[in-house]
Amino acid sequence: MLLPDYYEFCCRVKIVAGHDALEKIPDLLIERGAKKPLVITDKGVAGAGLTDIVSRAIGDRVDAGLIADDVPPDSDLRVVNRLARLYRDNACDAIIAVGGGSVMDTAKGINIVVSENAEDLMAFSGVGALKRPLKPLIAIPTTAGTGSEVTQVAVIKDHEKHLKMAFGSYFLLPDIAILDSRMTLTMPPFITAMTGMDAMSHAVEAYYCLQKNPLSDAHSLAAVGMIYRYLPLAVKNPEDRDSRLAMAVAACLAGIAFSNSMVGLVHNLGHATGSVCGVPHGLCMAILLPYGLEYNLHKRANVMAELLLPIAGEQVYLATPPEQRAQKVVSLIRGLNENLHAITGGRHARCLQEIKDREGKPSVPRDILPQIASAALLDGASIYNPEDTDYEDNRMVLEAAWEGKPLDRTRVKKG
Amino acid sequence: MNSAAVFAFTCPVKTNSGNKALENLPVELAGLNAVNPLVVANARAVGSKAVRTLMGAFGDSGMTLGLFEGVTEATDLGVVDHLKNICLEKKYDAFIALGGGKAADVAKVLNLAVSLKTPDARRLLPEAPVRKRLLPLVVVPAAGADGLETSQLACLSRMVFSSEWLAPALAVLDPRLARAKNGIQMAATGLAALGRAVESHISADQNPFRKAYSFAAIRFVRENLLSAVADPGNRKAALAVLNSAAMSGCAFSNAASGRLHKLGQVFYDLLGIPQGVIMGMGLPLVLEDALREGRYDLAALFQPLAGDDAFAQTPAEKRPEAALVLLNRFLEDLRSVLGKELPKSLREAGVPGYRKEEILDVLGQDEDGPYLRGVVERMADGERERKG
Amino acid sequence: MSIIKDVQSGKKPLKRAYVAIFLWFTGRAIQAAAKVDREVKKEFEKLPENFTFSLGCLPDGPWMVVGREKGVVKYLGGDSRGRPVQVRLAIKSLDAGFLILSFQESTTLATARNRLITDGEIPYALAIIRILDIVEVYLLPKLIASLAVKRYPSWWTPARKFGGRIGVYTRTLLGI
Ligand SMILES: [Fe+2]
Repeated sequence: MLLPDYYEFCCRVKIVAGHDALEKIPDLLIERGAKKPLVITDKGVAGAGLTDIVSRAIGDRVDAGLIADDVPPDSDLRVVNRLARLYRDNACDAIIAVGGGSVMDTAKGINIVVSENAEDLMAFSGVGALKRPLKPLIAIPTTAGTGSEVTQVAVIKDHEKHLKMAFGSYFLLPDIAILDSRMTLTMPPFITAMTGMDAMSHAVEAYYCLQKNPLSDAHSLAAVGMIYRYLPLAVKNPEDRDSRLAMAVAACLAGIAFSNSMVGLVHNLGHATGSVCGVPHGLCMAILLPYGLEYNLHKRANVMAELLLPIAGEQVYLATPPEQRAQKVVSLIRGLNENLHAITGGRHARCLQEIKDREGKPSVPRDILPQIASAALLDGASIYNPEDTDYEDNRMVLEAAWEGKPLDRTRVKKG
Repeated sequence: MNSAAVFAFTCPVKTNSGNKALENLPVELAGLNAVNPLVVANARAVGSKAVRTLMGAFGDSGMTLGLFEGVTEATDLGVVDHLKNICLEKKYDAFIALGGGKAADVAKVLNLAVSLKTPDARRLLPEAPVRKRLLPLVVVPAAGADGLETSQLACLSRMVFSSEWLAPALAVLDPRLARAKNGIQMAATGLAALGRAVESHISADQNPFRKAYSFAAIRFVRENLLSAVADPGNRKAALAVLNSAAMSGCAFSNAASGRLHKLGQVFYDLLGIPQGVIMGMGLPLVLEDALREGRYDLAALFQPLAGDDAFAQTPAEKRPEAALVLLNRFLEDLRSVLGKELPKSLREAGVPGYRKEEILDVLGQDEDGPYLRGVVERMADGERERKG
Repeated sequence: MSIIKDVQSGKKPLKRAYVAIFLWFTGRAIQAAAKVDREVKKEFEKLPENFTFSLGCLPDGPWMVVGREKGVVKYLGGDSRGRPVQVRLAIKSLDAGFLILSFQESTTLATARNRLITDGEIPYALAIIRILDIVEVYLLPKLIASLAVKRYPSWWTPARKFGGRIGVYTRTLLGI
C-alpha cells in the first residue's frame, strides 16, 4: 500500500445501514436535539411510495409530517428559496432528504439558507465560504450509485440568470446517511444496472486517479469487489434485499473513495456526453469506464492490476500473469457490461451508439462527438486524470466508445 | 457484512498526512471557524523541538497561540479545571493536542469542560451523555502515539470518557514529528495500532466501512513497522506507522472495546507500561484462543497481513492458521531487532509478582475478567513454560 | 504566572521573499507568453474582457494578479486593488507555495497532493491551469518541465522552443 508524500482524507458522515435502518431516524434526530424535520423529495420517489415507507418507519416520536415532494430533476434556486421559507415558517430544525442527486443538492442549498440565515445563496458559493456546522441533515439515497449522500459539493442552478453555482465545504456533508434496502427494492433493473455502474466508475477511477491515498484505496477495493459480485444479482433479482443492501453500501463506499481521490477521464467525458445529449449519467459511466482504464493504462498498470483480486477472486488472479492483470480488469468490466446488457434484455447499452431515447431514436449521433469532445475541455474532472487530455484525445476515446471497440492504445499520446 | 442487523459507522476525523502537513493548520483552523487555538502538549514526552516545529508552522499567519506544554502522566481533572477557567477567560476557540497519549486525553476532556462551560471539571462524569458539538479539536500525534488520539475515547483520572463528540475534527500527521525516541517506542506505537486494528477487523460485528480503516492500518504496520524500528531515520516508514495508528483509532472508535485493548489499558494505567508492549505480548495468546474457539474471523486477518499474492495462494481453510503463523513471525522479527527491550513475558518486562496481583484484581471487575486473568497468568512467564 | 503562554507566530521572511519573486516572475512570464505563444494567446482570447485571476498563498499571501485589459494580458502586481477576481488559485500554505514555485513539486503533483484550492468558474480555472502548464514548459529546462507537466507537449518544435523561450525570458525580465 502506497503512502503518498502528502494526502488528505475526510468523510464525517455517520453511516447507518441495514434492512431496518430507517427505524433509527427518531433516535438519531433526538440525539442531535431535533424534533421537527422537513422531509424533501421528488415526485418520482414519492410516487413510488418511498416517502410513505420513510414516514411509517419514523413513526410519531418526532414530527416528520411536513413533506415537500416537488424537487425538480434539476436543482433550482427558486425551489431552494421556497423550501427554505417553508422550513422557517414551520419552525423545522432538521432536514431529511429522500432521493437522488438533485434532492441532495437542493437539501444542501436549503440548509445553507436556513443555517446561515442567508438571503442570497450566492454569497456562500465557492470554496471556504461556509465556516460552521449547518442544521442536521439526514440523507436517504434512493439509488445505489451517485454517492451524493457522502459528497461535500452541491450544484444549484439559477435558471433565471442561467448560472450554475457550485458549493464546496465539509460542512455540506450530510450528518447522517441512511442506507436501507427498502429504498431501492423497486428500482427497475436497467436503472439498477446503470446506477450501479456509476458506483463502479467511482470506485475504479478513485483507485487510479491522482489524489488516491491509502484510505480512499481501502474504500475503493471494498466497493469494487462488492459491486462486481452483487450488481448482477440485484439486476437479476430486484427484490433480493441482501444484494440491494450490499449495493447501497458499496455505492456509499465508492462515494467516499471518489470524493477524496476525485475522478478523471471517465467522468470528464461522461459529464460532457450527459450535458450535450441529455443521456443518463450512469449509462455514460458504464460505457466509458473500460476506456478510462485503457487510456491511462500505460501510467497506472500496476495500480489497476491490484483491482483484479477483489473483482475476480483468487483463481483468476493467480491464473493471470502480473503484466496482464490490468488488461484483465478492463475485459472483466466489459464482460460485466455485456452481462448487464443480457439481463436487462438489451436496455443496458454497451456503446454510445446503442443509447436510445424514449422513442427509440439514438441519443448520441456520431456527428455530435466533436461537440462532446470540446465540451469535455470545460469540465474539471480532467485535472485529476493521470494522463493529459486534449480535444483530439477526447475525440479518439469517444469514437471508440461510440463504436464499442477497445481503444487502440498505440494511438494514446504518452508523456 | 452481517446483513441481519443495522450497523452504524462514523469517523469525524479528517486526516492530513505528509510533507508540510503542519503548515496547513492555519487554513484548516480557518475552515473550522477557529482563530484563537490553544496548544496542549506534553513537552517532556515530545521534546521541545517538536513544540518549536508546530509553533513554527504558524509562521506568517499572524496568529497568536496559547501554549500549555505542561501535560504529564499525572495531569488530572484538577489541572483540567484550572485550564478550563483560563480558556473561558481567554476565549480559546480550538484545541491542538501535540503528542501521543496523555496530551490528547487532556485536550479532549478540556474541550468537553470548556465547550459545556462545566462549573467544576473535577465533577465531570464519564457516563453523562454529550449532546452537543464541542469546539474543534486537532490532534498532532508524535513520538509515543498509541492510536487512541483519533478515537472518541479519553482516559483521565482513571476514568474513561467516550463520546462521538470527543473525537478530533482533524489529525495532522507530519514526518517531522513521526520519529520516535527509540526503537521500542516506535514498536509500541505500531503494536498498539496493530492490536486494536486486528481486534476491530476480526470481530463479529465488523462492517465494510470500519474494515476499510482496519485493513489499511494492519497493512501499513505490517509493511513498515520493521523498517521504522530498525532504522529510526526512515521518515517514510515512521510516518506510515503514525498513519496506521491514526487509522486504528478510527476503527476502534466504532468497535466494542476488545480484550487486547483492555489488557493494554490496565497495564498502562497501573504500571505505565506502553500499551503496545503489552498488546504485542498478548496478541498471539488471544488470537490462538480465538482460533481454537473459532470465535473470530481470523481468516479476514490474513489478507492485510500477508499481501495479495500470499493471500491468493493460500487456500481459504488454511488462512486462519497462516495468519497466526505470520503474526508470530512478525513479532519474532521485531524481537530480533529489539532484543529484550521488547519483552516476551511479564517477567522480562520486570513486573513484580505483587503488581501482577493488583492487575488481576482490577481485571476481576471486567466482564471479560476471568478470561483476561487467564491471559495475564500465561503472560507472566511466557508461553515456553506453559507449553513445556 | 499563568501556566498558559501566549505565543506570537513568527515570520518567514526568506520564504516569503522567494515566493514573492517567483510569483512576480510567473506573472511577467504569463504576460509575455500571451504575446508570443499562440496557444496561450488562444486561451486568453476565450476569456471575457477584464477577466482577472490570482495565484498566491494562504493565509496571508503573497499574491500575483494577471488580467485582461482591452484585449491585452497584463501582470497587475501583487494585489487586485479592488478589481473583481474571477478565478483564484490559492496554495494552502506559504511552505507549499515554496515547494511549488521552487519546482520541487509540479502543478500536477501539487494537485494530486491537494495543495491548491481553486475558486471560480471551472471552465475558466481550467484555462488558467492550461496556461500555467504551458508557461511552466517555457520557463523550465525540458528535463524538469517534463516532470512538472503530465505530458510534455508534442508541439515543442525546436524553432518554437528557442524562439518562444527566448521571447518569454526577455519579455519576462523586461516586463514588456
Ligand atoms: Fe458518477
